[in-house]
Amino acid sequence: MAHPIPRVRRGLAATAAAGLLLAGAACSSGAADTTTVRVGLLVSLSGTYATVGEDMQRGFKLYLDTHGGKLGGRKVDLIVGDEGDGPATAVPAAQKLLERDRVVALTGLVGGATVDKVQTLTTEKKIPLVGANARPAFTPVGGKPRDLAYTWHTSYNSDEPGIAIAEYVKAQVGDGEVYAIGPDYQGGYDELRGFTDTFTRLGGKLANPDGKTTFTPFPSTENFLPYLNKAAETKPKAVYTFYAGAAAVAFVKQYAQSDLRDVPLYAAGFLTEGSVLTAQGPAATGIRNVLNYSPTLPNPTNQEFVAAWSAAGHTGQPTTFAMASYDAAAVLDRALAAVDGEVTGEKLNTAIGQVGRIVSPRGDWQFHPIERRPVQRWYLREVKADGPVLSNVLVQDLTTLPTT
Amino acid sequence: MRVDAYLIPVVDGVAYGLLLAIAAAGLTVAFGAGGVLNLAHGTLIAAGGYIAAATSSGTWPSLAAAVALAAIAGAAGGGVLAAATAGLRGRGHLDQALLTFGVALIGGDLLTTVYGPDTLRPRLPATLEGTVEAAGHRYPVDRLAVLVIAVLVVAAGYVVLHRTRAGRLIRATVDDRAMVAGIGVNPRLVDAAVLMCAGALAGLAGALSTPILGVGPGTADTALLLSLIIVVCGGLGSVPGALAAALAVGVVQTLGVTSFPQLAPYLLVGAMTVVLLVRRRSLPGQAAA
Repeated sequence: MAHPIPRVRRGLAATAAAGLLLAGAACSSGAADTTTVRVGLLVSLSGTYATVGEDMQRGFKLYLDTHGGKLGGRKVDLIVGDEGDGPATAVPAAQKLLERDRVVALTGLVGGATVDKVQTLTTEKKIPLVGANARPAFTPVGGKPRDLAYTWHTSYNSDEPGIAIAEYVKAQVGDGEVYAIGPDYQGGYDELRGFTDTFTRLGGKLANPDGKTTFTPFPSTENFLPYLNKAAETKPKAVYTFYAGAAAVAFVKQYAQSDLRDVPLYAAGFLTEGSVLTAQGPAATGIRNVLNYSPTLPNPTNQEFVAAWSAAGHTGQPTTFAMASYDAAAVLDRALAAVDGEVTGEKLNTAIGQVGRIVSPRGDWQFHPIERRPVQRWYLREVKADGPVLSNVLVQDLTTLPTT
Repeated sequence: MRVDAYLIPVVDGVAYGLLLAIAAAGLTVAFGAGGVLNLAHGTLIAAGGYIAAATSSGTWPSLAAAVALAAIAGAAGGGVLAAATAGLRGRGHLDQALLTFGVALIGGDLLTTVYGPDTLRPRLPATLEGTVEAAGHRYPVDRLAVLVIAVLVVAAGYVVLHRTRAGRLIRATVDDRAMVAGIGVNPRLVDAAVLMCAGALAGLAGALSTPILGVGPGTADTALLLSLIIVVCGGLGSVPGALAAALAVGVVQTLGVTSFPQLAPYLLVGAMTVVLLVRRRSLPGQAAA
């Protein structure tokens, strides 16, 4: 999920993980040699987004395990912190990684709110933050624009899936109208705005009564049937949506039971990504969605990645979350290889700016020089049976973003 | 707009409302008769849901077993709470609230540890996964089944409460504990039995709601919040009040949120405020059962 909402709940797992971390840190302190670097991985190990956090941890570790535990020729001491449900858990965990463990880079980070807060800490310490999931719209602090020199992402911007698929949907519906519906929070606004702005600019019309996207209360909406049946009355030619996590499961299951059942459903790929797809089951079949990755991409790097994923004993297919975290490790690998002598945050950050083309399971990409996030291809995928399991099977390339 | 446009949301609202009524009935009875403000009620509902989701494997016998196990687990949980709160009798509702809140936090973490952080849904027999066509609209069979079962449970609850000795004892305990003791029945036994029945209802509500809503880490909080709203609006301890309030909440949450989408997040709390202002005399225990 791209846009977690902070919730006031912490698991026993957090305490357990913190205990393990303290033990780990105690063992490894004092290793000041230049051949070992300490990298911090901050992901949700407890709370609502634990599934995504776990995926990201697996992705990063998979890269390490398939590269002899080394990045850029240096042995990596990976220290994992629990992001929990958001900043309340994540900020202390990040402070510990930065101040006590003195990591040279921080990666992971599931939620936009976490990135927003942690970004100021890493920038202050001049430690590169290589985020592998949410990248929020960094709002100015104290009237000053954010210093993003140390902030990188291997993921995407929240409005990009919608921008990428709008032209395709327009071609499919012709003069028909599209009903847009999504969750009522920042992530939902970004995802839906990407689609509706681009779609209407191409001459498309929304079927929603007032021409505006319908937003459902989040996370309290569990019953989507009333909304879906209401949408069916507008006789749309297609529906565009974004939901993630539990809401995605409820939405997809209930869509297949509603009056909209026979109307084509297009979505940002998070709707059917990862464990939610297993829970949705056959109800998800045929949903066309957009993302920067599909496990069925035919490039050799992806085939190796998927094979290594299965060989590591992980159930299901790798997700975009795991892939982006795997790529964060690849970025650090190339950057660390370019650093001479002792690794400092400043030297590493300069090196990240010069990594050039990253060979990735999603297809090769590089950092946008100003935006510091990937210039990458977006793909149209369809939920289909791939052997015994449901998968987001590649249909075609859509576009490369960002364009400028 | 055509009249039949309202048909499906109303049916859906009633189904949802009856489900909430079963959930809230347990809470209101536990308060009214057992005298326990049970903040672990939502956790019992979530436990029932998890057990049902884990047990049902797509066959009818497993579905029946899932519902039965959920109710039994709920009753057992109610028993534990009865034993735990018995020692706190006479120390006021705040101590009970603190205890049951602690139980809720621990129980919630145990459930997430055992069943994982994902939202689970039970696998149902193929017949229940389908939809039926009525008046030009589709409606899911599983919701119809839940509607029917909920009507049966509510009817059975009414009969037990009003036509049997056990039910009369419960209502008598709500009204006058001393009188119940006076006729030779230990009100504490009634308390314990009521808490177990309330737990069973919670487990059942959890099992019935999983096919529609799923069960996840947020289920316990949501279920408790909605149950509290219903119990407060319906009058603490009042079963018919809870039923009416639950149906109202169900309709607000289906017809209301789609009719006034801009107000959707505030509709429920707004309706609650109006009810409480209009009916300015809801003090604990004073509402008629």
